[in-house]
Amino acid sequence: MQTIEKLFPANDFALLLLILGMPLIGAFINGVFGKRLGKGGVRLMALTALGVSFLASVVSFFMLRAAQGDGSEGPARFLWRGWEWIRLSRAGEASFVHAGGEPSVLALDVAFSIDALSGTMALIVTGVGFLIHLYSTAYMEHDAGFHRFFAYLNLFIFSMLVLILGNSLPILFVGWEGVGLCSYLLIGFWFDDDANASAGKKAFIVNRVGDFGLLVAMALLVRYTGALDWDGIAAGSSGLLSEVRIWDGQVFASFLPDFIVQPRSVTAATLVGLALFLGCAGKSAQIPLYTWLPDAMAGPTPVSALIHAATMVTAGVYLVCRLAGVFTLSPAAMLVVAVIGAATALFAATIALVQRDIKKVLAYSTVSQLGYMFLGVGVGAFTAGFFHVMTHAFFKACLFLGAGSVIHSLHARIHDTDASQTVDNMGGMRRFMPVTHLTFGLSVLAIAGLPLTSGFFSKDEILYSAYTRSVVSEQSGAFAWWPGTGAVLFGVGVLAATMTAFYMFRLYFLIFRGEFKGWQIDPNFREPEGGHHDHHHHDASEPLVGPAPRESPWPMTVPLVVLAVLATFAGFLNAHPLHVIPLEHWLEPVFGDAVPSSRLAHSDPEHALMVPLLVPGVLAFLIGAGLAAYMYVVRKGVPARELAESFPALYRQLMDKWRVDELYDELVVGSLEALAEASVWVDRWVVDGIIARLTSSLVGLWGHLLRLFQTGHAQVYAATMVVGLFVMGWFVAIPRAEAVVATDASSGRYSVRAAPGLGYEYRWDADGDGAFDQGEEFGQTMQVTIELEPGASRDVTLQVRNVFGRIRTRVVPVRRELRDGSAPSAALSIHGRGAP
Amino acid sequence: MNPIARLIVEAWPYALAFAIGAFIPRREGRLERLALGLIGVLSVAFVRGLWPGASVGEGGSEWPHLLNLIVFLPIVGSAVVLFLPRQAPRLLKRFSMGVLIADFGVSLLLLRGSMSHGWHYQYIAEWLPSFGIRYHVAVDGISFWLVLLSTLSSPLALYVSFGSIRKRTKELCFAFLLLHGAMLGAFVSLDLFLFYVFWELMLVPMILIIGVWGGAEKVKAAYKFFLYTMAGSMLMLAAILYMVWTFKQLEGYYTFDYLALRRLLLEDRAAWLCFAGFALAFVIKVPMWPFHTWLPDAHVQAPTGGSVILAAVLLKLGTYGYVRFCMGMFEGPAWQAGATLAWVALLGGVVYGALCAWRQADIKRLVAYSSVAHLGFVMLGLFAATQAGVEGALIQMVNHGISTGALFILVGVIYDRRHTRLSSEYGGLAKVMPVYAALFVVFTMASIGVPGTNGFVGEFMIIMGTIVSQPLGRWATSQAVVAAFGVILAAVYMLSVVQKVFFGPLNNPKNEKLQDVTPRETLALAPLLVLVFLVGLFPSVILDRMHESVSGVVSRYVEGRVLYQQHLGKAGATLKPRKGGPTEVGYPKAAGVAAVDRPATSDGARVAARVGGAR
Repeated sequence: MQTIEKLFPANDFALLLLILGMPLIGAFINGVFGKRLGKGGVRLMALTALGVSFLASVVSFFMLRAAQGDGSEGPARFLWRGWEWIRLSRAGEASFVHAGGEPSVLALDVAFSIDALSGTMALIVTGVGFLIHLYSTAYMEHDAGFHRFFAYLNLFIFSMLVLILGNSLPILFVGWEGVGLCSYLLIGFWFDDDANASAGKKAFIVNRVGDFGLLVAMALLVRYTGALDWDGIAAGSSGLLSEVRIWDGQVFASFLPDFIVQPRSVTAATLVGLALFLGCAGKSAQIPLYTWLPDAMAGPTPVSALIHAATMVTAGVYLVCRLAGVFTLSPAAMLVVAVIGAATALFAATIALVQRDIKKVLAYSTVSQLGYMFLGVGVGAFTAGFFHVMTHAFFKACLFLGAGSVIHSLHARIHDTDASQTVDNMGGMRRFMPVTHLTFGLSVLAIAGLPLTSGFFSKDEILYSAYTRSVVSEQSGAFAWWPGTGAVLFGVGVLAATMTAFYMFRLYFLIFRGEFKGWQIDPNFREPEGGHHDHHHHDASEPLVGPAPRESPWPMTVPLVVLAVLATFAGFLNAHPLHVIPLEHWLEPVFGDAVPSSRLAHSDPEHALMVPLLVPGVLAFLIGAGLAAYMYVVRKGVPARELAESFPALYRQLMDKWRVDELYDELVVGSLEALAEASVWVDRWVVDGIIARLTSSLVGLWGHLLRLFQTGHAQVYAATMVVGLFVMGWFVAIPRAEAVVATDASSGRYSVRAAPGLGYEYRWDADGDGAFDQGEEFGQTMQVTIELEPGASRDVTLQVRNVFGRIRTRVVPVRRELRDGSAPSAALSIHGRGAP
Repeated sequence: MNPIARLIVEAWPYALAFAIGAFIPRREGRLERLALGLIGVLSVAFVRGLWPGASVGEGGSEWPHLLNLIVFLPIVGSAVVLFLPRQAPRLLKRFSMGVLIADFGVSLLLLRGSMSHGWHYQYIAEWLPSFGIRYHVAVDGISFWLVLLSTLSSPLALYVSFGSIRKRTKELCFAFLLLHGAMLGAFVSLDLFLFYVFWELMLVPMILIIGVWGGAEKVKAAYKFFLYTMAGSMLMLAAILYMVWTFKQLEGYYTFDYLALRRLLLEDRAAWLCFAGFALAFVIKVPMWPFHTWLPDAHVQAPTGGSVILAAVLLKLGTYGYVRFCMGMFEGPAWQAGATLAWVALLGGVVYGALCAWRQADIKRLVAYSSVAHLGFVMLGLFAATQAGVEGALIQMVNHGISTGALFILVGVIYDRRHTRLSSEYGGLAKVMPVYAALFVVFTMASIGVPGTNGFVGEFMIIMGTIVSQPLGRWATSQAVVAAFGVILAAVYMLSVVQKVFFGPLNNPKNEKLQDVTPRETLALAPLLVLVFLVGLFPSVILDRMHESVSGVVSRYVEGRVLYQQHLGKAGATLKPRKGGPTEVGYPKAAGVAAVDRPATSDGARVAARVGGAR
């Protein structure tokens, strides 16, 4: 241990390079050379990359434990700084060099750090990631894009680790968009089907809406804290308390009602918190941006397990935990987080009640569980929220992999992705797939909240916190939560928990109990030649015959077993009711350091309500599970059908996922499309129409007009010439008296100069006495100079006579302005037009 | 250490890069592999040589004729092309490629300096002394990267052109070389007359390229391009002449020199008119809304090589001109117009350009409109006028050259095979052209600014520079938010076209036998691919050589605006005080007299100005 510590000192922790680098190398080699390496090579490369990364994470984790056990103050953190990435300007400083000479720059480094929070998260990602890689080697065995799949998967792990380990928000953002990109590529992995590619695109674009929030949050942080790395944000977070005017009420103030016209301001922390949460809602599929996640199930099932259940979608929760110090500055933003979390938990659970595609059920379940996590962190119970991230990673990954195992065995005969995922083709799988059945069952118990499983502890911790905790502002008069908030959040949480227990048990019963409905089982059946690879739909009229579904091979069952064990027992990492709370102790320094306890209110400091509040949670489990057992085992699904028939409208709504996708299509996509069409029209007919077509046609018009005069008749030309000569003669016959005043500002000397002309003679009245200076005689004096006191003015009169004796008069007013001393004294100025 | 061991230690990154380049699968041909390996080695050398803190050749003096060589090598080359036999296309191609590659090699010598504050590789010679017109060229941290971008993209563009253009090779070579020289000249000119000459000189070969080798409506597009650009530059010429004349009034001698003319503090109305003259010329070239409609037409009609040059370099002359001349000479009007123009750049460029791009059926037109959106970002960074914003804008200029240039090459690839650019004609191409699809997706990601690629660095710096900007005032935050919103739209239009072209079933039987990228296309794209990640991961390699110059520009902008406000309302024009220092080396002394104002500081040793050169 000591040699390792010497090798990797805390401020130059190069072990992080190993954690991050291996998946990247794996991605590069598999992506570029994968075809040449062959499946064995790709498998070896991918698993080695993940394995080494996992081991390095374990080593770092124990080093962190050792460092944190030192008794030193504050959370232990190991840092590795790579190179300078970019520099940004601070607010109020145009240049990187301050006017005084010292640099004032916000330098962003490519730097990574690991502490208790990110270390735990890295363990989950690399650990679960390794298991899912192992699983995928069997699941994707026969896919033509085997190497491409593992390249993407390794790239995903790399991006996820960058997200977790980044030492600043922009580096986190690199990973944040990186996982989004991998998600895009993996959802659309089977891109020959347009639906899959569309789902990938949708995921990317909806995520980009969230990323927009994150970009805005970063910009606001630059402006109000002057930093983007974790330490700098914490140090500058007092700047976030400044008020920001978001609406100045100046628009149409005269005829809008008063409450609109009033200027509104919020603290910068609220804006930052809401912008960050928009990012979290995008990545973690919360209302209103959750719609991409169910569609994302178009990807291969291991991808759903890894990205869309265990790791990537929890990034939002991680971000809230990571920036707990910023979020807790704004009770309003935290309330939004908690309320959206609770609402999502309930809303997604209602949809999951009736879905028949097992991956869809699991997807909505994931959305719902993510809602729980946000409910937890939203009320300030960061450890509870993060604990649910962890337990959810275990049981949901296990559920997805179990579902994948079932799908895999059905797909072996059905050869159709959709048909092998619907519960209508399942039932009775318990007999054929004992390992899958057992592990899936354990995970169902965990997610439904059977006492003493992991889900029980983590979910009830969140419910308890929702009831008792709240976030308060340190400033007086600021926004405060309504006192009944906790009870409402708690009630919503319990209701969602009941539904969770119901739909998970429903799913379990439909898959594993009852009769197998996939095809007629014929033990002597042989697969026709080449049958595996044609993905055409079978004729519905002819009943499908096939062998009994088989249990999956060991690379798929081993991860299932490991995850099921974790799903069952991981609860004891943070079993508050039993007072076994190593995770809380482990994370305490991180959150305690970031969030002063004065921002968090706790209505039950003695934990007196802890045990009583367990009762609703347990009841939720019992009611949900019991109801599912009654409906699907005792009555064989008859009540479910009856319910659906007696409330057809509600059932349709639920099956159609409340038609939110359709709403968005109409509202957001539709209006954007209309706007785009309008832009194209404007571009073609207005912009191009005016600037290019109109001008060119005007020029053309003039051409046409002028051409009318070019008749070719000599008489017309001669007549025009005569008229022209006459006009020119008239012009010469009239004298023009024009003058230019040149100023010398310092001395107050003004020289007035007359314009020259053919045979012109001049006479002047420069002193303003009404009489001409040289008598009535005209002379050749073209210029006169006068001096004026400041503030004085004078009218200079000029008369011009041309050779025809015609006279023109012009009065030139000259005025010297009152000057203050600021005028540049020596500057020479010129004024007006004409040559000197 | 043992020298051999050290050699191994030192050389391993090069060896690794060479190996990766040379052993990329699915490439045939030994030459292609060798070239790819060399590109790998060069990129490693590039990063290592430019790494901040790496030893730079500061001690060596700057060779004064370097810029002359860079600018006139292609121009002389174009003259030589006229005397080469038309019947020997191979000779013509090799000669022109040789000249362009040599020019690129020579321009790499520029990297030896550290680009400290002030002008570098400055060369001054009297040209028309009676009008104070001099041949005055120099680079600083701003023009420097654009010069390199041009010398890199021209050979690539010409190289891909040879792949699809078979007729009138001689004229093509001539036009490309002349265009190349003129663009470089415009980037390095510090005399406004010289700048104007190069600025107009660029137009001639470019309309030839569009009008001779273009598509169905080539002549119309060429005219449109020419007239738009011409209209702007005429006003710029008028503004230049007015400024020269005013300077003569004040100082008593004629000069067209940028260093002298930027001292002018014109009377308010005159300042606005001159600013408008310059700004219009540049804004049309950029192009900004509503003067952008020449761009899609020109791009769609131009041959692939022409589009690449147009996007990668020609448009940059507009943005470069704005930062150099508008921000450098008219700080007051530029500052005041900035907040309004920033809205034009945002709503007309970033949002409107993106929306228009989304609905285009023609892929090339789509990429052209995406240029409008990207350059909206660039202009926003310039209007923000914070150091992060301006540096972001400059690096985004380079990025746009890389990723949009590459996208045009890529669109050219399928156009050469199928002779259509309608996205509805394609679908499922990822099955038959996997390498091509992968490249397209990577450059798409760069174009929409996924972090880790070059596009992100520029957009990020621009947004972060916008929110703290003073010139934008109370709008700074909302403008940063709208700019961030543009990021979503970029994903919408680019991913839509990627899906239409590459994903889904392969329905069109004409696409079943398409050839994947050829060696020629690979070689043209490989350097750009490497640059996408180099700039994305190590932007400080490029930014480090910008800091001092941009800092100078930005602080000058702030100071100039203060002087403008003090001057506001006063009659007549005046001059700003001279600052001295390295940015004023080469200041023109007096008319007709071949004398150069040398500073008395120790910097004098670095002055590369030559007095009384060629007349």
